[in-house]
Amino acid sequence: MRTSIFLFVLLLPALTLAVSVDGWMDVQTGGDSLSPQMGRLDLGGLLKGGSWGLVVHQRFSHEDSTGVVPRILNSYSRTDVDFAIEVGPVSINPDVCWTVDIGDKKPEIVLPLQAGVANRDGFIRPGLGIEADVSEDIHLFARGLYWNRDLRQEDDYDLAWTETRISGGLTWDSPWGPSLTVAGLNHRTSSDFINYEATWSRIDASVAVQPQLLPANMFVSGDVTYSVYDGSDFNDHTIADRLTSRVRLVQMVIPSVSVNTTFESVIDFDEGVTRSACTLAESRIVYRFMRSNDIASSIVIFGKLSRSSIRTERVGIFSRTNLYRGLSILFDAEARVTPTSVAGAGPDRKRYVFGPGLEYQFGNTARIWGIVEQERTNLATNQNWWRLRAGLEFYPGSFNF
Amino acid sequence: MTRSVKALAVIAAVFIMFIACKGPVESTQLLVNTDDCTGCGECMKVCPYNAIEIIDGDAVINPSLCHFCYRCVEECPEGAIY
Repeated sequence: MRTSIFLFVLLLPALTLAVSVDGWMDVQTGGDSLSPQMGRLDLGGLLKGGSWGLVVHQRFSHEDSTGVVPRILNSYSRTDVDFAIEVGPVSINPDVCWTVDIGDKKPEIVLPLQAGVANRDGFIRPGLGIEADVSEDIHLFARGLYWNRDLRQEDDYDLAWTETRISGGLTWDSPWGPSLTVAGLNHRTSSDFINYEATWSRIDASVAVQPQLLPANMFVSGDVTYSVYDGSDFNDHTIADRLTSRVRLVQMVIPSVSVNTTFESVIDFDEGVTRSACTLAESRIVYRFMRSNDIASSIVIFGKLSRSSIRTERVGIFSRTNLYRGLSILFDAEARVTPTSVAGAGPDRKRYVFGPGLEYQFGNTARIWGIVEQERTNLATNQNWWRLRAGLEFYPGSFNF
Repeated sequence: MTRSVKALAVIAAVFIMFIACKGPVESTQLLVNTDDCTGCGECMKVCPYNAIEIIDGDAVINPSLCHFCYRCVEECPEGAIY
């Protein structure tokens, strides 16, 4: 009790200084011939003082399921309450998050140990993070998370499913440029009802580099991480150690054109066998034009290829052309290849989506948009359907007290 | 401008080499590209094994629960899981 009073007195000056309030809202809705009801509402608020901040984020999501492509029937609410306070060089971040599945039919979860299926009702997850700048170039961080999941079998037995995740480490920004990070993580999952317990842990050592001596308008960063795992996957196979390397290049070719490219390579060390686990290349070209208008117009062309145990490919274009004041015409087109879970569809699903749209921006306060898309999906048989998506974003700005 | 063209040529060459290479055949874990992940939670929603959680705005896959059903890969609107 005395400690609580002492802490309250200590923190009171910080809490009573000037406060700013922000709020935002984002509504998205859509429907197509397969899934007539899809919607999402995000509401958020930020209360910020001199050395503290409180963020509350509420989401309601609903998705229906019919037709060829199985969408999970789900309506849920998710609440995130995140508090952060800085005391000198130390930042303390307690937070809590909970979800509630609110649909008529609860999503089914496949249990490990061939224990059948259970219905998901939601979870509550408190957490605590602490970060500290020990010196100018050494940064410590630690985080603890605990999940209590509400999973029930058909006969309404609670599975007592809990998860604990503890992580921590330090980053050192060396005087020669590279920054080094050593971090550890331990994750434990257990369910008393089905006698399930799995623990895995990981130790990471990583080096990140951002060369400074580069041509003008060019930014390059790279990082290499070696992760040592202890634990096994669902098949009781040891999780392989992993070396991940990534290079990012950003180049402004001319003032209106920029190119952002990423290469990633992952190597697994699996019980004496070394093998390439994944390679990825991704690029995005952004062209901005009519920049003197109220809303800058732009064309974004993007492409991504990955090869691991699966292949994914994605290429597309998105454009926004400002017509008058806040009014812009939109266009998006995308082609994707991914694996699919649709029965009998073969290993890959090919999707082609394109459509025009309209958008109106009310300065920085609000944005309303709508887009009509046609999707063609190449599964066992070709499927075509129309989809209408629309949204409203609202940001009234900051208020200071 | 010349430097930019050279840099782009190098990028293009590496890209073509990448396309020409055959990919690996096995992997023990899926990857989440945190640059592309927006934390929308679609992957968490469709995962039938409770193996995905959104932590600090990014999807995080639990390697001891993931069964490689690839529903998250199919569903992710950003193509951030592979």
